[in-house]
Amino acid sequence: MRLQLAAAGLAGLGVLGAAAPAAIADDRAEVSTALFAEQRDGGKGGLTVIHPQADFGIDLGRFVSLDASYAADAVSGATSVIYQVDAVSSATTFSDTRQEGTLGIGFHGRRSRINFSATLGTERDYLSHALGGSASIDLPGRNTTIALAYSHSFDQVCDKDNGMLSPQEAKALTGADPCDKSSGILGKDRPGTTLWRDLSIDTAQVTLTQNLSPTMNLQVAGFGQVLEGFQSNPYRRVRVGQNSPKEHIPSTRDRWSLSARLNRYLPRLHGAAHFDARFYDDTWGVVGGDVELGYSQYIGKNLLFRLHARVYQQTAAKFFKDAFYYQTLSTAGEYFTGDRELSPVRNANLGGKLTLITLGGDKPVWGLFDKLQVNVKADILMLAVLPADSLADNPMGIDKQFIYGNSLLDAVILQLGLSGNY
Amino acid sequence: MRAIILAILLLAAAAPLAGCGRQAVRAAEKEFLADQVMVFDDDPQESSSDDHIRANREGAAGGHGAGGGGCGCN
Repeated sequence: MRLQLAAAGLAGLGVLGAAAPAAIADDRAEVSTALFAEQRDGGKGGLTVIHPQADFGIDLGRFVSLDASYAADAVSGATSVIYQVDAVSSATTFSDTRQEGTLGIGFHGRRSRINFSATLGTERDYLSHALGGSASIDLPGRNTTIALAYSHSFDQVCDKDNGMLSPQEAKALTGADPCDKSSGILGKDRPGTTLWRDLSIDTAQVTLTQNLSPTMNLQVAGFGQVLEGFQSNPYRRVRVGQNSPKEHIPSTRDRWSLSARLNRYLPRLHGAAHFDARFYDDTWGVVGGDVELGYSQYIGKNLLFRLHARVYQQTAAKFFKDAFYYQTLSTAGEYFTGDRELSPVRNANLGGKLTLITLGGDKPVWGLFDKLQVNVKADILMLAVLPADSLADNPMGIDKQFIYGNSLLDAVILQLGLSGNY
Repeated sequence: MRAIILAILLLAAAAPLAGCGRQAVRAAEKEFLADQVMVFDDDPQESSSDDHIRANREGAAGGHGAGGGGCGCN
């Protein structure tokens, strides 16, 4: 469940991504593993996520392609039990595993392609079933590409059966509670103990890619998503007055974003500059945006080095409060949450990626590949949690309401990948 | 229903942009546009991994396209 937000938020994106990979005209295989390590306070260590992925695609003749992908998350480390003024003292440890598989089929003509895919994701307390489709077409002149994508995800979340208790009395799920499944892919209720709650996610995207000149192209994208159903973290508790009920958040969330990306090739330098900006808004009151700059540089014929830097900032959800105010003034309405993703936050990351490119020429690489690439990527992430309410009237401050630490360096990401076209 | 309306609105917003640049770049001028550094999301696993991490750290989501963009070089 601690992974469920990623699954929920990305269920649509994952399907869309699988349904419309970058246009590759031949059989391909790619495997990678990412390591995410975040520091956390409370003396229980940090948080570690290992994220392996594998994608395979084959062309069946000229017009049909098949794709299969697999991804997993192995998560272990520290988490807090209760969102309160001092969440650090309640730190505990957990571990979880999520697995996800996608199958896709694509049909492509000279200037168009259409893809369909199905995704199944499973973890102890979260199940995801998604169907998606996408279509793209190159307009006459082949300088403009329009792509549309849509997916629907039927998800289920394991939750404590609280019967007729009010939200202010509801108990949270614990790791000891059973989350039974039928055939491993459907939730099975255990009345009086645990229930599986539904969450449906509809995601639509439209993308326009435009060649602006022989050295510059632009991509503009619009994204819309409607989430309907259970979206709380069933484990998370919030100190409200003297009680610590399970968090309670709205069942409907409509979100949208617009983004623009620009690439500029620099022939004299044998490199390229990249610019990316995005605006985001939703019905929970979260407004965010990010800007990313990048630069790619070839070193000789076989090495490609890329640097990138990104900053992001968001406002808080309307019902989010700093822990002190939930504890002393209660909630501002029906809802209450201790989710950092719904708090005002600013973060930045800086990283680099080195790619070794080997072209087969007349003789295939390793006897199989026309092109083989090895990627090594490293990122550092910085985080600043901002106050949602008045700090002047908050004698306890906000430094301990999350367990994510207060140092400038928040997390590191390392990724190693191998991809081949054959 | 709201999702369908949203999709139609997004399409309507992007459609006017599609008419520009039919002659922006001739086929013979697409050497640089065909380079992998000019392809949006040329490493799908990296993009997927980045989105996954951001979804666990940020309230915002989406907005990085539905794929399918290319240089029209083939």
